[in-house]
Amino acid sequence: MSGGKVASPMASTKPTSGDDALASSPEKRGFSRAMVPLGAWVMRMVTALPNLALLILFVLAWQFASKVWIPSIDPHMAVLMPAPTTIAVTAAGMIVSGELFYHLLDSLRREAVAFAFSMTAVPLGIAMGWWRPVYNQVSPIMEILRPIPPLAWIPLSILWFGLGDEQNEFIIFLGIFFPILVNTIVGVKNIDPSLIRAARSLGASQFKILTRVVLQGALPQIITGIRIGLGVGWMALVAAELVGANSGLGFLINDARSMLRTDIIIVGMLTIGVVGLLIDVAIRVVGRRLLPWSLVLSR
Amino acid sequence: MGQLTIEGLSKVYGEVGAEGSLLALSNVSFRVPDNRFCSILGHSGCGKTSLLNIAAGFETATAGSVTVDGKPILKPGWRNTMIFQDYALFPWMSIFQNIAFGLEMKGVDKKERVATTGHFIKIVGLEGFENKYPHQLSGGMRQRVAIARALAVQPDLLLMDEPFAALDAQNRKFMQDELVRIWQQEPKTVLLVTHSIDEAIRLSDYIVVMTKRPGRVKDFIEVDLSRPRDEDDSGYLALKRKLRDLIHDEADDR
Repeated sequence: MSGGKVASPMASTKPTSGDDALASSPEKRGFSRAMVPLGAWVMRMVTALPNLALLILFVLAWQFASKVWIPSIDPHMAVLMPAPTTIAVTAAGMIVSGELFYHLLDSLRREAVAFAFSMTAVPLGIAMGWWRPVYNQVSPIMEILRPIPPLAWIPLSILWFGLGDEQNEFIIFLGIFFPILVNTIVGVKNIDPSLIRAARSLGASQFKILTRVVLQGALPQIITGIRIGLGVGWMALVAAELVGANSGLGFLINDARSMLRTDIIIVGMLTIGVVGLLIDVAIRVVGRRLLPWSLVLSR
Repeated sequence: MGQLTIEGLSKVYGEVGAEGSLLALSNVSFRVPDNRFCSILGHSGCGKTSLLNIAAGFETATAGSVTVDGKPILKPGWRNTMIFQDYALFPWMSIFQNIAFGLEMKGVDKKERVATTGHFIKIVGLEGFENKYPHQLSGGMRQRVAIARALAVQPDLLLMDEPFAALDAQNRKFMQDELVRIWQQEPKTVLLVTHSIDEAIRLSDYIVVMTKRPGRVKDFIEVDLSRPRDEDDSGYLALKRKLRDLIHDEADDR
């Protein structure tokens, strides 16, 4: 950014260190004139780095630590931090055997079932956002339930549903439901009142206003709620499976712990992370496709 | 069809007679013949927006009535549709869908809907923009969509709330001329609210000048100038001077 305005990087011959780079970052320009060319040079080097350079460096350092550094201190500790190559081999094996997909599909199925149930938050949110008395009656209940983390429901839900899919799905449902509800209410309340007046003035009935104006107008915010909800649900899912399932990614990593298979644990963790990210990206893409007019979603 | 009769219209906000209640309109009466263009001219706070909201069915009158062809206006609907200052286009609908919306609400079948929508898109000069979304259009073009959307339902009475207030001066004048052209092609009884003297003269057959709070009819003027209206015409200038005097009286007695 500031690179073009300062002296040639060739003028700087001083050796650089990380501290110097921080001290002479563009924000601190003018703090020390002598450091400006140096800082600019560092900035330029950082800008010129290929994408993912830091990530590659990180993986290489990890590889080195796992294979050389930690074993040299204590060979027994090496199992706690498997090398990236070990993890890759394990992952490949789990993909080929279908084990990873078996657990992943079970987790995704639970998330999907819970998501289907939590869509009830949309009509409830619209009713709460549209009719003040409904809001006044329902919101006290919701305000008490909402701050309770889904995980706090695990003991009770195990007693209610026993171990298994229903219990897991219930926990995930709690994670997804409230973000969708809250965002739907906000979406309805934020609709430009003149749009509702315009619809009435064009002869729209109350029902048509709700379906064609209120629901449509709140949709970007509802999709934002779904995005947040699926993220929270995905986190809750893993926790629910840790304690109350015999399949799924959460079960997989907890089961691997008892066998000290840290490589499987990390494969499971990475899968959870990557799939969570993919769900998020997928919803954003779908949202932008479906609602090309929405400035909120295209941001 | 659409003879507008406003008879003894009053509007009080708050409990009548109670402290803090506000008399916005007091005994307003005037009549606009079928397919004529009427502007309501006045300063802000003269109750002109209340009058328009009552005519649109958004608010109810405390006393008096607004009738179109003898039928009282009691609720909003396509018979007395309104064009809003901020256009109020549905951002999730294409231009075509926006204009067709009222027809759909009216229960017009699809074939006729497509034909009517196409007709009004042509009249307001938006061919080629059917599949665009409102956020892709300029202010003037959005206003055209709003005009087409309101005309498409074939209202008996068309209400306009300072429709050009959001446009720059150049565009405003252009859109005023466009509105006159469109209105001459598709005549409707129009009630337009404005605080611009030039806008009122440029557009109207009749001008209702309102007093400040409470809003009363100060003068009801028939504009007897040929169209298109010429700003340098002596009749135009005389009327402008007359309106300015009427309006200035109101500004002084704050």
